[in-house]
Amino acid sequence: MAADAALAMPPAAAPTRPRVLLVGTALAAGASFMTVMGLIGIYLSRRADVISSGATWLPDKTQIPLTPGNLAFGTMLLSAVAVTWAVDAVGKDDRKMAYLALGLTLLFGLSVVNLTVFLYKISGLSVSTTPGLLFYAVTGTHLAMMFGGMAFLVVMTIRVLAGDYRGRDREGVVSAALFWYATVAAHAVIWLAIYITK
Amino acid sequence: MAVIDTAPETAATHAATAVARIEPTGFAALLGTGDHKVIGRLYIATSLLLGAVVMLLGLLFSIEAVDTGSLSIFTKDTVFQFWTLLRVGGVFLLAFPLVIGVAMVVVPLQVGAKAIAFPRAAAASYWAFLLGAGLFLASYAINGGPGGGSNTGVNLWIASLGLIVVAILLAAVCLATTVFALRQTGLTMNRIPLYAWSVAVAAVMWLLTLPVLVGVLVLMYVDHRHGGSTFGDNASLFNHLDWVLRNPQVYVVAVPVLGFAADVLATTAKARIAPRFAAQGAIGAFGIFGFGAFLAGADAHDHKAWVVIALGVAALLPVLAILGLAGDLFRRGSFAFNPAVGYAVAGLLILLLTVAAGALGSFPGLETYGTIFDVGVSTGALLATLIASLGAITWWATKIGRQPVAKGPAAVAPVALLLGSAAIILPDLIAGLIGDGPPSTELSPSWVGGIEGVNVVAVVGVLLLLLGVVASLAAFVPIIRTPDQPAEADPWEGQSLEWLAPSPPPLDNFDIELPVVVSAEPLVDLREEK
Repeated sequence: MAADAALAMPPAAAPTRPRVLLVGTALAAGASFMTVMGLIGIYLSRRADVISSGATWLPDKTQIPLTPGNLAFGTMLLSAVAVTWAVDAVGKDDRKMAYLALGLTLLFGLSVVNLTVFLYKISGLSVSTTPGLLFYAVTGTHLAMMFGGMAFLVVMTIRVLAGDYRGRDREGVVSAALFWYATVAAHAVIWLAIYITK
Repeated sequence: MAVIDTAPETAATHAATAVARIEPTGFAALLGTGDHKVIGRLYIATSLLLGAVVMLLGLLFSIEAVDTGSLSIFTKDTVFQFWTLLRVGGVFLLAFPLVIGVAMVVVPLQVGAKAIAFPRAAAASYWAFLLGAGLFLASYAINGGPGGGSNTGVNLWIASLGLIVVAILLAAVCLATTVFALRQTGLTMNRIPLYAWSVAVAAVMWLLTLPVLVGVLVLMYVDHRHGGSTFGDNASLFNHLDWVLRNPQVYVVAVPVLGFAADVLATTAKARIAPRFAAQGAIGAFGIFGFGAFLAGADAHDHKAWVVIALGVAALLPVLAILGLAGDLFRRGSFAFNPAVGYAVAGLLILLLTVAAGALGSFPGLETYGTIFDVGVSTGALLATLIASLGAITWWATKIGRQPVAKGPAAVAPVALLLGSAAIILPDLIAGLIGDGPPSTELSPSWVGGIEGVNVVAVVGVLLLLLGVVASLAAFVPIIRTPDQPAEADPWEGQSLEWLAPSPPPLDNFDIELPVVVSAEPLVDLREEK
C-alpha cells in the first residue's frame, strides 16, 4: 500500500527557478577572471617590452622554480575534480561523499596557498622591481580569488550540512563549483604565462 | 504563479513575522533598505550632487581656457590635479552612478521582478560607492590625486577609485542578474524592453572591462607604496588610466542611451519596433565595440592602431541603426511631443556626434591621440549619458518619484542640453584637429593652449549645459513632492511591464498578478485584447 501511495504522489518539485545565485556567480566569476587576465596581459606586455629591448626580464639572483608551480597547478586540477565530485554527490543525496569532496576541495585549495607562499619565500623577487610587482600582483590577486572561492565553498558546505541543498536542488553548490572552476582556469593561465614562460 | 513569486507558506511566515516586527523609519530605514527603488534614488541624488562639483569645475576650466596664454584661475601646481578630478570625476562620480541609479529603479520594474537580484549587494554597492566617492574627494583635499604632493593622498586616491569601481561592479552584477534571471514568465530575452537590454549589455561590458582597471589600480597602489619604479611618479599615474576615459572604453557607459531612446521613441510613436533583433543587435554591438580593456597595458598610441580604427568606425554603425529605427517608428506610427522625446533625440544626436568624432580620431594620420580631441570625444559620451539619464528620470518620473515632472522646464531643458553639449564638444574637436589644443593626458603643468575664439564658444556651451541641467532639476521638483492624489500608473500608454506598477511602486513593485508575456510589448497586447 505504501508503494502505491508513493506512486500516486505528484512528481518531485522542479529545481528552484530562477537560478539567481548561479547567474550572479557566473557574472562575478567572469569579472574576477578578467581581473587576473588583465594583470597577466600587463605582465606579458611589460615582459615583451623588456625582452625586445635586449634586457633580461627577471633580475639576477631571483628565480621562479618550476616544481612548486607545477605542483600547484596539479593540485588545482585535482581540486576541480573534487568539486565536481561534490556537485555530483549532492545531486545523488550522498551527503557523506559530498562532505568528503567539499573538504578535499578546500584542502587542495589550502595546499595551493601553501605552495604559493613557499614560492614567494624562495623566489627572491622584490616588489619594488617591475617583474616582482607584476608577479606578486598576479599571484596575489589569484590568491584573493581563491580565498573568495574557498569562503563560498565553506558557506555552501554549511548549507549542505543544514540540508538546504539536495538532489537536483543544488544551485548553491553548483554556483560555488562554478566560481572554483574560474579560479582553476585563471590558475592555468598563470601557470602557463608566469611559471612556465616566466 | 510567476517564477519569481515566493512560495505561499514562506509568504505567510513572512507576513506573520512582519506584524511582530517594528519597522525602522527615517535614517535607519534608509541605511538598511534593500528596496531597489530607494537605492536607485540614493544613487541618482548622490550622482547629481557630485556631478554639480564636476560641472562647476568644468565651467572653471572652460573660463580658464579663454585666455590661452596663461593660467588665471588655477595655479601651475594644482591645475593638473583639478584636471584629473574633472576627467575621472565626470566618469566615475557622475556618469556611472547616474546610469546605475536610473537602472536600479527601472530595470526590475521593466522585467516584472518584485525586487532586484541580491538586494543587499545592491545596497552595499551604493554605500561602498558613497564611501569611495567621499574618500576620492578627500584625497584631493589632502593634496593627493595624480600630480599631488602628498604620497598618502595619492595612495588614498588610488584606493578610493578602486572602491568606487568595485561598487560599480557590484551594482552591475545585481542589474545583469535581474535581467537574466528575474524576468516575468514569457519575457524571453528577445522580448525584454530595450532599455533593460541596454543596461544588461552595459553591465556585462562593465564586468568584462572594469576588472582590468581594478587590476591596474592594484598594481598602481602596490607600486606607489614601494617607490613607484614601474608606474612612475605621482603625476605619471594618470597616463595609465586614460584608456578608461577615452574611446572606445568610454562608450560602455553610454550604451543605455540607445536603449532609453529606443524605448521612449517606440512608446511615443505608439508603434512596435519591427526588426527588434536589429535594435537589440545594434545595442549589443555598441557595447562590444566599447571594449577597450585591451588598451590597459598599452604604452602609447602607436600599436594596435588597426583595432582602434576598426572599433572606432564600427561604433558609428549601431548609433546610426538606432536612429534609422527611430525614423522608421515615426514613419509607421504617430508623433506626439513629450519632454522625454526631446531628451532622447538630444542624447542620440550628441552620441552620434561623439562616435563620428571618435571614428575620425581613430585614424593615426590625423594625429589627434593625446590631444584635446580625445577629451572632446569622451566628454561627448558623458554628456550623451547625462542627457539620456535626465531624460530617463523625466520619462519614469512617476516610478522614480511621486508624480510627473513639470512640463515647462522639461521641454526647454533638452534644447539647452543639446546646444550646450555641442558647443562644449566642437571646440575641443576643432582645436585637436588643428593641432592647437592643450594635450589631454600628458603632463602639462602649464595647462595652456587652444584657440581663443572657439574656447569662448565652449564657455557659452557650459553655461547652456548648466542652464539645461538647472531646468531639468527644476522640472524634477514635483517628483519629490507628495501629490494630492496618486499619480497615474501609465501616463504614456507604455508598452512594457513597468507601467503596470502603481505610481510610485510599492515595496514589492506590483499590486496585481502580472500577465504571462507573449510579445515584446505586453501592455499593447493587453490594450488590444480589450
